[in-house]
Amino acid sequence: MVTKTEETQLNQLENQVENGGGGVWEYLSLVRKLKVRRSEIVLKHGLSILNDPGKRSALGPDEWTLYEQVAIAAMDCQSLNVAQNCIKVLKKKFPDSKRVGKLEALLLEAKGMWEEAEKAYTSLLEDNPLDQVIHKRKVAMAKAQGKPSLAIEHLNKYLEVFMADHDAWRELAEIYVSLQMYKQAAFCYEELILTQPTLPLYHLAYADVLYTIGGLENLIAARKYYAATIDLTGGKSTRALLGICLCGSAIAQLSKGRNKEDKDMAAPELQSLAATALEREYKQKAPAKLNLLSSALRSLKIS
Amino acid sequence: MAEDLVLDTAIRDWVLIPLSVVMVLIGILRYFVSKLMRSSPTPDAKMVKEGQVVIRARNLKVGANFIPPRSFRTRRFYFTNEENGLLHVPKGEAPTNPQAAMFSDPNMAMDMMKKNLSMIIPQTLTFAWVNFFFSGFVAAKIPFPLTQRFRSMLQNGIDLSTVDVSYVSSRSWYFLNLFGLRGLFSLILGDENAIDDTQRMMQMGGFGFDASKSLGAEKDGLDIIQHEWALPRFEQRAESVLRKLVK
Repeated sequence: MVTKTEETQLNQLENQVENGGGGVWEYLSLVRKLKVRRSEIVLKHGLSILNDPGKRSALGPDEWTLYEQVAIAAMDCQSLNVAQNCIKVLKKKFPDSKRVGKLEALLLEAKGMWEEAEKAYTSLLEDNPLDQVIHKRKVAMAKAQGKPSLAIEHLNKYLEVFMADHDAWRELAEIYVSLQMYKQAAFCYEELILTQPTLPLYHLAYADVLYTIGGLENLIAARKYYAATIDLTGGKSTRALLGICLCGSAIAQLSKGRNKEDKDMAAPELQSLAATALEREYKQKAPAKLNLLSSALRSLKIS
Repeated sequence: MAEDLVLDTAIRDWVLIPLSVVMVLIGILRYFVSKLMRSSPTPDAKMVKEGQVVIRARNLKVGANFIPPRSFRTRRFYFTNEENGLLHVPKGEAPTNPQAAMFSDPNMAMDMMKKNLSMIIPQTLTFAWVNFFFSGFVAAKIPFPLTQRFRSMLQNGIDLSTVDVSYVSSRSWYFLNLFGLRGLFSLILGDENAIDDTQRMMQMGGFGFDASKSLGAEKDGLDIIQHEWALPRFEQRAESVLRKLVK
């Protein structure tokens, strides 16, 4: 993840570069280091460096890294000719390189020639069965072709070996949610919470999934995770506040006939407090919608 | 007893400084040679998987209290299950494996040999050179007093037993440089490459990723944990946060 200082530095350099100041190479190196996706700017300025033979030779051995970076940016912006030229130059210089092979397969993918790309990736995998990037490209291809079940299969196989890769777990969770396989999505989010327990994003997503699955036990758990999100964000997460109100009313509905267990009411005022906080926030940020909110909250409490 | 010997400044010019310079140069040379000779390690699929399993098990231990009890128990069972749990290492197989695998795998054996050689040969040569040229005289004075025990170690070429132990031979200067040049290397070669001889010796000793032991350790760690779900506490904390916010 990009830290705040790095982000400000990146934005600063970006402004400088866009407004005609120097510092293009530092900007490109920073983008490469942080692995952010600023393809248009990278393409425009990288290409200006590459087309100018004086600047190009000033780079020395970094020239090839720049070719690679511009090729990927070009593919992202669908300027496939530019990408093709870059790859041609790279191939002339490094004829047997695996990195260039990856770029070529990526180009095939960008052109939409799925079978050829598939074949290229499979052959690359034979040489190097533990390459994480290639595995992920296969998953991305399956997803782009609209075959989520295939993507899930590939991701599961990948995660069997590389089970500590939390980006992969996140991707899997999102695919599951899109396919409405909520139990599996809950499992993935649990994995994510284990790796980074202080990140409110995962708690929130997990609570959403639990709430969607439904059932009294899950609703109670969802409420707890919404509370955790509120705690971790200092009360600023509107979604979590709404979540608590909804959970509260859903629980009340479900447990109408039964005795309320004591532990469920560990924090009895949570719901009313959340409602108050919500109203305050709406008053500050979206006063036009305050009436909508108040009537919605009122209907929740009644039912 | 503490007669102050006056040491010729020529000693400093012709012994101490050249010796340090030579050792720095040899260190740099060794770094470049090792870069050239490094063969890219082909990662073994099993080793990678085991490494990742350990990381995941460790995460489970750390974050155990953040997930619901049932999920935790499911995962713990998955890891420590007697039949096919990931961390369970069948007793007969494991202990001999890493060592045997290492010696039978020609690549790894070659790698180890290369690493050892690149360290042993320069050390031996430099030591021999120091002994040959720079023995038989007092090279330096150590600023703090030492006991008589150190005499045999530090004063090797000097055959007078009445000289204060603080006056040492050039061999001890060699050893001092051997252990102390790491700071200099980190300045010259960049921080990651500042491995000097002491670290290399430590690397030599503990070779190989001893997977079975770490797996067993993680399994024991997981078995011990008592799961205490932290989330109910969070509800109360959220309540107080909101209360403060609303006021």
